[in-house]
Amino acid sequence: MAIVMVITVFFFMQMKDGSRMETDLDEYMPHNHPAFVYSDLAEEWFDIKDGIIIAIENPDGIYNPATLTKIKQITKDLQKLDEIEKSDVTSLYTADNILGTEEGMDVKPFYKRVPESAEGMDELRENVRTNDMVFGRLVSEDETVTVVIARIGDDVFSQEFYEQILELANSYEGPENIYVAGRPIVEGTMAQLGPADMKKMVPIVIAVILLVLLILLRSFRNTLLTMVVVFFSTIWAFGLMALTGIPIYSVSTMIPVMLISIGVADGIHVFSHLSFHISENPTASKLDVVREVLREMWLPVVMTSVTTAAGFISLLTSQVYPIKYFGLFTAFGVLSAMTLSLFLIPAGLMILGLPKVRQAKPGSDNQAGKIATWSTATLLRGKFLVLAMTVAIIAISVYGTSKVWINSSFLDKFEKDSDIVLTDQFINDHFGGTSTLNLILESEQAGAFKSPEIMELVSELQADVESIEIVGSSFGLVDYLKRMNKVMHADAEEFNTIPESSDLIAQYMLLYEMSGDPENLWQVTDFEARKLNVTFQIKSDNSKATNEVIAGVESFRDQFEEHGIQMNYAGSGYTALVFTDLILEGQITSLLLSLVIVILLLSLMFKNFKAGLIGAVPITITAIISFGVMGLSGIPLSSTTALLSSISIGIGIDYAVHFLDRYRINLRANGDTRLSLVQTMGHSGRAITFNAIVVIAGFLVLLFSVFPPNRELGGFVSMNMFTSFAGTLTIMALIVNKTKLFSKDTK
Amino acid sequence: MKRIVMAVMLIALFSGQLMATDITGLQVIQNVDNRPTGDDMQGDLKMTLVNSRGETRVRDIKQFTRDFGDVEKKIMFFMSPADVRNTSFMSWSYDDESKSDDQWIYLPALKRVKRISSDSNSDYFMGSDFTYDDLGDRHPSEDRHEILRTEEVDGRTVYVVESVPKDEDYMYSRTVTWVFADTWVGYKKEYYDEDDDLLKILTVEEQEDHDGIIVLTRTKMTHVQKNQHTVMSFSNVTLNQGIDEGKFTERIMRRGL
Repeated sequence: MAIVMVITVFFFMQMKDGSRMETDLDEYMPHNHPAFVYSDLAEEWFDIKDGIIIAIENPDGIYNPATLTKIKQITKDLQKLDEIEKSDVTSLYTADNILGTEEGMDVKPFYKRVPESAEGMDELRENVRTNDMVFGRLVSEDETVTVVIARIGDDVFSQEFYEQILELANSYEGPENIYVAGRPIVEGTMAQLGPADMKKMVPIVIAVILLVLLILLRSFRNTLLTMVVVFFSTIWAFGLMALTGIPIYSVSTMIPVMLISIGVADGIHVFSHLSFHISENPTASKLDVVREVLREMWLPVVMTSVTTAAGFISLLTSQVYPIKYFGLFTAFGVLSAMTLSLFLIPAGLMILGLPKVRQAKPGSDNQAGKIATWSTATLLRGKFLVLAMTVAIIAISVYGTSKVWINSSFLDKFEKDSDIVLTDQFINDHFGGTSTLNLILESEQAGAFKSPEIMELVSELQADVESIEIVGSSFGLVDYLKRMNKVMHADAEEFNTIPESSDLIAQYMLLYEMSGDPENLWQVTDFEARKLNVTFQIKSDNSKATNEVIAGVESFRDQFEEHGIQMNYAGSGYTALVFTDLILEGQITSLLLSLVIVILLLSLMFKNFKAGLIGAVPITITAIISFGVMGLSGIPLSSTTALLSSISIGIGIDYAVHFLDRYRINLRANGDTRLSLVQTMGHSGRAITFNAIVVIAGFLVLLFSVFPPNRELGGFVSMNMFTSFAGTLTIMALIVNKTKLFSKDTK
Repeated sequence: MKRIVMAVMLIALFSGQLMATDITGLQVIQNVDNRPTGDDMQGDLKMTLVNSRGETRVRDIKQFTRDFGDVEKKIMFFMSPADVRNTSFMSWSYDDESKSDDQWIYLPALKRVKRISSDSNSDYFMGSDFTYDDLGDRHPSEDRHEILRTEEVDGRTVYVVESVPKDEDYMYSRTVTWVFADTWVGYKKEYYDEDDDLLKILTVEEQEDHDGIIVLTRTKMTHVQKNQHTVMSFSNVTLNQGIDEGKFTERIMRRGL
């Protein structure tokens, strides 16, 4: 007891001193994965960065001194921030207007000082309208919205910076409407909202679990001991995390929830057995009771905990470090809960005394016995119905599984009517798109992208992909060349084409360097014109959209290969896609792995391979149904929902273990399969039911969360617990009965 | 002994004061601006651009310049890389500061001379780290100059002059120039951006003496913030050859060398 306290205090101190939150989503990315290595390289070559978009809307039009001044001030404010490089801020104020005239070419800013005269204003408006590089990109075509874009590096984003940007934007609100969007903002909001919501919800979850436990266990003392186990194991897990210097990722905020739902199981089963035992031996001494309960319960408690831990350990196969850590520390927490249950609960009972056995106990026990007998009878009678239903549900789920789609979208994690989604929609309605995909073309030959033939092909590709509905616009060297060609032909529209010779392309590029901002050129090609970066602006960041664009691009792969040109992708939109694929791949691996481990462990523990297979039945069904429901309801597999399968296996297996263990004990005692089943139903079945009710009640609370991923988590865990519970007490019970499991043991 | 030291110190102090009161910052910069550079000059310019990843581009250019008093005319012919060979560029810059430069470009693939007009001298010259202003287009009267201090380099006196633009919207918040007091050669210059952070450093790496006229033959502009640099290196420099005014015409641009 004292040792437990010392360890807990030690870990608590560690947690207090050493814990730190990690909110930078970039930390999640497996940077040694080939796709990430390439994307990081390309990001360096072309200075690809994510942009924060500040949109300024004036329903009366932006061409008035006040709005133009605002554009200038916001631009300058952003340029002054330490986190942003001056040249990375683009707006109507910073943009160069390259104009074609009869005799040549004119390069000038759209405005430096805000035009005061009406003519000056009209000229500015006309200049914007006739410049494709700006019209529709920086100023909306209805002239009511304009954007200031600040590109930022992967490493500069922080909570403080995020708040600073929002504050800056808010200070310019009114009469113009100011909107802030862009991937960094979405990521920032998500990194803030998810854990914040969890922090709010977890206490409510605990309260509900506490309440339900209190009702079911009918003992304040038992509830207290159970919860102490859970709290201490959580402290141990987070303490170890701090001790090893591993930060708390947002996934890690789910660890307490996991430990609560797993940890209470040990307590429920121990106390359930305790009251069962007391009611059968009302005269036994305190020490005897505790010793007896421990003797009978240590094996299932250890078994359930080890199998649960194994389920989480399988997450170590993930390539995503936060998920690895999540698995590792949850497993540690589960084993802590096991140790604590086996030491703290008996110790607590010795100190606090046994729960009083109620007078009504025998009666209610009879009732419980009746329920068990009745339900077993019903189950056996309706076995074909149960079987048929199970098969039907599995069949539907397998069909549903085929419809599961992966979504790397961050925006889809928010409410449809949340500010961030509405802002994104607003900007998508007025401009090319808030999400980007970068296509990187690479040739072995220097100067490849000065060839008109190849540039025509690139131009064709851009036009083709742009015709996809969700693609707002595309941007690359092609656009510069066409613009230069047009400008050098006195702005004649028929020269808005790729120049006809490679020398002319080279000379235009030289000319652009001499007159524009040469940095722009190195964001679309390199010194040797050996590489090309084409940016597609997409009006959605979900995986379906990104994949659709990639499919459009891929149809050109063969044509480019004929020219010795390789295609690759880069940018945060693409890496997010790869990332989700990795999560999925990792989930499937770890799911299968944990299934194998669980079967092996069960076989080993029961010294019976058949028991291993049968024990795995409920969780297999649970996993299939879980994916099936996901597919049928259109909820995509994302970083949150993907974790669920492992969690379900880890938790769900406990029911089966308790059931099988009790069944074996009963069968050994009386040798009758039917009677054993009835007894097990009354004993373990009751505990399992309690356990399921507690956890489901706790997780259902998450349905009231304001953050959709947390809602999904609550819904799915509840559902999975229910299917595991139902699967154990119905189909698994039937199989146990049918296959005469453990029958040999008795002979 | 002590007395001699005192005397030297006094003289040093006195002369320092004398210098500071003797000449103003504006005069130093004017002297630099007026330093004889010859009436005309021709030479081979090698422009080497190195970016932060160490990738290098080299351009070979033949350059002719002639000062006609109120206007300085310059014509450049690209020799390499091959795909821009014979591209030519001409600029006329006027002493009259209210008059902006005239610039023309000839693209051989287009077979046409086009006028380029640009409002801004803050544009970078041919994608290098030099702006047109950095290359000497800036009038001393556009800034307010102040001598920060004098330094001693290899036994020579150096004025350190700070120049703050009168136009608040200018791309630099200030520049600091190191000028040899004896030759009026500026040999180092620092450029500070709008936030007063060091942006670029210009250093003179080689110079040649042509009959008393000092020609800066190798200058390097390091863009500190972007971690890249440009080296401009002249060879085969000849001065005062009497380059004909007819050299600086659109016809010559088209015809080439």
